[in-house]
Amino acid sequence: MHALIQLTVANVRSFVRDRPTVFWTLAFPLIFVVLFGSIFSGGGAGERTIGWVDGDASSQSAQLRGAFARESNVELVDATEVDALARMRAGDLDAVIVVPAGYGAQVAATAGPRTAPASLVVYTDASQSAASGATFQIVGSVLGRVNLEIAGRGPAVVPEPRTIQTRDLNFISYIVPSILGMALMQLGVFSAVPLVADREKQILKRLNATPLRRWQLVGSNVLMRLLIAIAQAVIIIGVGSALFGVELAGNFALLGALVVLGALSFIALGYVIASFATTEESANGMTSVVQFPLMFLSGTFFPIDGMPDFLQTIARVLPLTYLSDALRQVMVDGTPFAPLWVCFAVLAGFLVVCFGIAARFFRWQ
Amino acid sequence: MTTASVAAEPVIRVSDLRKAYGATRAVDGVSFEVRRGEGFGLLGPNGAGKTTTVEILEGLRRQDSGEATVLGIDVARHPDALKARIGVALQTAALYPKLTVTEVIDLFRSFYGRGRATGELIGLLDLGEKSATQTRQLSGGQRQRLAVALSLVNDPELIFLDEPTTGMDPAARRSLWDLVLALKAEGRTIVLTTHYMEEAEVLCDRLAIMDHGRILESGTVTQLIDSRFHERAVRFERIAELDEKRMAAFPGVTSVRGEDRRVLLYTRDVPATIGAVLTAAEALGEEPQDLAVRRATLEDVFLDLTGRALRD
Repeated sequence: MHALIQLTVANVRSFVRDRPTVFWTLAFPLIFVVLFGSIFSGGGAGERTIGWVDGDASSQSAQLRGAFARESNVELVDATEVDALARMRAGDLDAVIVVPAGYGAQVAATAGPRTAPASLVVYTDASQSAASGATFQIVGSVLGRVNLEIAGRGPAVVPEPRTIQTRDLNFISYIVPSILGMALMQLGVFSAVPLVADREKQILKRLNATPLRRWQLVGSNVLMRLLIAIAQAVIIIGVGSALFGVELAGNFALLGALVVLGALSFIALGYVIASFATTEESANGMTSVVQFPLMFLSGTFFPIDGMPDFLQTIARVLPLTYLSDALRQVMVDGTPFAPLWVCFAVLAGFLVVCFGIAARFFRWQ
Repeated sequence: MTTASVAAEPVIRVSDLRKAYGATRAVDGVSFEVRRGEGFGLLGPNGAGKTTTVEILEGLRRQDSGEATVLGIDVARHPDALKARIGVALQTAALYPKLTVTEVIDLFRSFYGRGRATGELIGLLDLGEKSATQTRQLSGGQRQRLAVALSLVNDPELIFLDEPTTGMDPAARRSLWDLVLALKAEGRTIVLTTHYMEEAEVLCDRLAIMDHGRILESGTVTQLIDSRFHERAVRFERIAELDEKRMAAFPGVTSVRGEDRRVLLYTRDVPATIGAVLTAAEALGEEPQDLAVRRATLEDVFLDLTGRALRD
């Protein structure tokens, strides 16, 4: 045990004294949090300019326009559909709402016996997941009130002013677990680089010439990375909740288990990379090749539901998808992509497979 | 240098050791013994198979065939038992670039159940000024000294040094040699690989000359040289009036060679040749300057065995 602790201390020292690595591991994810948080939750930044296309010109559509216009942070711009969409593409409008012809008649019919509800076409930019999320929230809340009015009763629930904040928090709540997942993934995958460097410099060989056991060597490495993983989780979640009021919904034991399992899975992936990379440079290259698709296709920055089908298929097989999804479920009660136990099972399975490959192919010298 | 007392049981016994990497036979049927307390050297050019041989004996690689017993332990069967009792300094001495000298030594001490104090090792290897320096900032020579210090943390009775003075300046090399001689004087056995002949001559009681995975010849330095070169050379500063034809006729002389300002008389009979030189010089009213007897070196032995110089 003494050797294991000493070696872990040595690993932590080496890590802490390597400033660029510290930056990439701890500061970089934090910058993401602060950056996204500032962009999407700044005060007053919720102002939205929405193109209004009235294809019906009925009293009902005018009433609907009035309901949207009453929203304090919405500015409506009347236009034709073609014009409105062009201006949205140009970036002048955040969204476009189209009231289709026949809306008034359908709403009038709905007030009587049950028929199909009237629909409202809402254009948002899928690449701006936060912005479109906010738009849908506005639309949702307006329609909720309008529906109640149409049904002939007064609004049963009056939205509290706080809803504005919740709406703004939505994206940051989404992104904080994502960034934690990304950080854990990078921490694990990057374990390949120092490992290959140690082999290249024959440090592993020198250690192998001592009575140190291999499990102690691997154990100390993993232990060091788990300590960093916990530090990452504390920092990211801490900053997320201190600066941007991200509220933790889940239980901490589950969150801890998830952080450890996630870190272990991706450390195992790092060992797989180290099994096939022969030089520090090739390890670096392979690490990048692995991490970028994981980062961008795992729903880290945009929800998977908004992706084209073929990307969704890819996302479905990436382990980071399940880690980020599970983190979201546990941390902020996010909408599940897969049930939590599936996420745990996928990560555990991934860990076992990577461990098996590394155990078979890893070379000590 | 005194020859240490020789115990009956050899510390290392190797017989018909073989190890191939693909088609390359790195070690191709090597056999030798190392006795307790002696300095044993594997001498040969890079790629001769020295390092592979030593790494098998250190428990780092497994031989394809052949027996290797170190300190009575079968290295292929019980490498872990062996590792606790030996000291190893590898050829490349890069170690945890971001840790200080003291931290690295402390770390290695934690791997063993026993050992010498960190401060003692730092003093022994003259690393005191560098004890708080990160190893990446050490010079090549300091790094080698740290590697040797690490080989001593468990107070081993047998120490393997793989090319220990590569990259050192002559003064640093000298001081490391003194340290190795001191370790040997304490009764420790030293196995060293080198391609510096002078190092082999200073540190090794016995030597094996390796090339292409085989041991070409082994024995003491004197045995190796005498078995091939019966001649010595009498060397002195050239005397102008004494021409080469006349010197070639001196008793015992087999050939004459000029070397800068000096002349070399190869001879089978050193005293008779020296006598003739002195007599002839006296007759001319001269005194031979810088008179010396030069014997063949290990370099000559290697050249003779392989047809190549050692450091190509």
